[in-house]
Amino acid sequence: MADSGESFGMRTRPISGGSTREAELPGVTGVAWPASVERSESPLAQGLRRFRRSATALVGVAIVVALILVALFADVLAPRSPIASDQTRTFQRPSWDYPLGTDQLGRDMLSRVIHGSRISLAVGVSSVLLALFVGVPCGMIAGFYGGRVDTLVMRAMDVILAFPIYLLAIILMVMFTPTAGLIGTMKVTAAIAIVRIPIYARLVRGSVLSIKEKEYIEACHALGVRDPWILLRHVLPNCLAPIIVTTTLGIATSIIVEATLSFLGLGTQPPTPSWGWDLKANVAFIQANAWLSLFPGLAIFVTVLGFNLFGDGLRDALDPRLK
Amino acid sequence: MRTYILKRLLQIVPTVLMITLVVFVMMRSVPGDPVVALLGDGYTEEDAIKVREAYGLNKPILVQYVIWLGKLCQGDWGISILSGRPVLQDVLVRLPVTLELIVLSMGVALVIAIPAAIIGALRQNTWADYTATSVAMIGVSIPEFFIGVLLLLLFSIGLGGLLPSSGWVYLPGTCPMMVCGVSLWGNVQHVLMPAIALGVGRAAILTRLLRTSMLEVIRTEYVTTARAKGLAERPVVFKHALKNALIPTVTVMGLQVGFLIGGAIVVETLFAMPGLGTFGIDAIIGRDYQQVQGFTLITAFAFVVINLIVDLTYTFLDPRIRYA
Repeated sequence: MADSGESFGMRTRPISGGSTREAELPGVTGVAWPASVERSESPLAQGLRRFRRSATALVGVAIVVALILVALFADVLAPRSPIASDQTRTFQRPSWDYPLGTDQLGRDMLSRVIHGSRISLAVGVSSVLLALFVGVPCGMIAGFYGGRVDTLVMRAMDVILAFPIYLLAIILMVMFTPTAGLIGTMKVTAAIAIVRIPIYARLVRGSVLSIKEKEYIEACHALGVRDPWILLRHVLPNCLAPIIVTTTLGIATSIIVEATLSFLGLGTQPPTPSWGWDLKANVAFIQANAWLSLFPGLAIFVTVLGFNLFGDGLRDALDPRLK
Repeated sequence: MRTYILKRLLQIVPTVLMITLVVFVMMRSVPGDPVVALLGDGYTEEDAIKVREAYGLNKPILVQYVIWLGKLCQGDWGISILSGRPVLQDVLVRLPVTLELIVLSMGVALVIAIPAAIIGALRQNTWADYTATSVAMIGVSIPEFFIGVLLLLLFSIGLGGLLPSSGWVYLPGTCPMMVCGVSLWGNVQHVLMPAIALGVGRAAILTRLLRTSMLEVIRTEYVTTARAKGLAERPVVFKHALKNALIPTVTVMGLQVGFLIGGAIVVETLFAMPGLGTFGIDAIIGRDYQQVQGFTLITAFAFVVINLIVDLTYTFLDPRIRYA
């Protein structure tokens, strides 16, 4: 029953959005489609080929991978503790001992920048994933069932969308009271995720509205396939391409929002190293110690650039219509 | 069309009410109490009760909201708990600063983006296009405050203090207080860096969008027709292509307003400008309920009105779009 949709020869031309269905289920392909049929390259493989040809996309991937490595091995890579202050060595200029100098508390800037990557990446990625896990099911259910469910879900989303994003994020952070460490990071993540849920809900709802009218979904209904299975197995894979692209680009936006909240003093609190906070704290000393606010800012820029290049490359590769 | 505008104008009221209500409830569930901050070291339980009574803080939250709303209808925006000043007066003093910042930054964005996008689209895949798209990519990836810091380094520190790093000088004729610094040149000096810092990001987003939609429009048949009938390149690009390409761009710019408000807060903080952004963030962090309500009211109103203007711009750009 499970694969009835395919075994009845319902496989029409692949949606140009780039279904990843084939790639995920290599074992099923032989059963569902007779081997005698010449199969053209799958949309995913086509997408990957396009992605590999793009130099900028590869630069983006390189930056993202490097950042993940830096964040994972921050303890090994950082020459010193990011929070240990040394009152005898404040405002050291960049040197061999302190490649990026030290701040007003004598803390090693290089170590702080390296450790700061953890907060940025953790908040950037997890807030988007959180928004995704709430927003995508909401959008799928709203779009698939329509009617009252749709109205209810989308009105709730409209309430969030009615807010200027930063106003809501700032007030949420004040409500949560920013703190340091893991809990503080989770608060920022939650605040950013909440303001970003409607983006995914709307995106997915739009895709589902068009997909549910397709013949293969009708065939599923006719065959008595249960709704959750249709949603997971037939609807979701076909709206994956825009979700993947929005997610990657969304990480870049979330990192900027996190840095902005930190800059306003509403992100993860010190002593936990955070780029936005470091930049803000060191602007006060910009007159004599310009390099101090330069490095955290550069770190934010490179990270966001990496995810933007990656996301742009994915968009061009997975969905040429969006280019 | 007229009924549509009327309908949309009527929708502003419930939306603004909803935003202010949600913020009202959220702010009052924030841990910490402005009364404690107000009384400071001399805090006693009796004084606190008196102050709460004086400001109506002892009533249920929804009752407080209705009271706030009732006073608002009479033009009374309430009195700040911490500063003791009327909120409306503070908002009016700070509004021109933020308005000037936002208008100029949008100007900066348009001045950079429109030529860059046109050049990028008309000379697709040439070095000019690559430069435009790369610079736009960089611009999208830099947060406003870092552009601000770079500008500070360049113009306030690098070039021997060419531009002031903080503060504000009002445009002649806009001074909202009894005494304030007024000079045209001083105003330009103070607004230049913040406007660029806020505008560059917008310019980058605009360039990317506009270039993409220009590329689409330029390949359409009516552009080919316009060229074929011997129209000069300039009217083809500006009247036929650009106007149509602006439609999707305007939508996204409308959505960007939410980010622009955050950007204004950040840039005003960085350059220590006495605008609404710094007013709002100080009020929120200080839990000054009345000021937060005032700030929310004016931001929500601006947000909703700008989105309405965006929708109405469509009919100007594309007369085929008619709102019944």
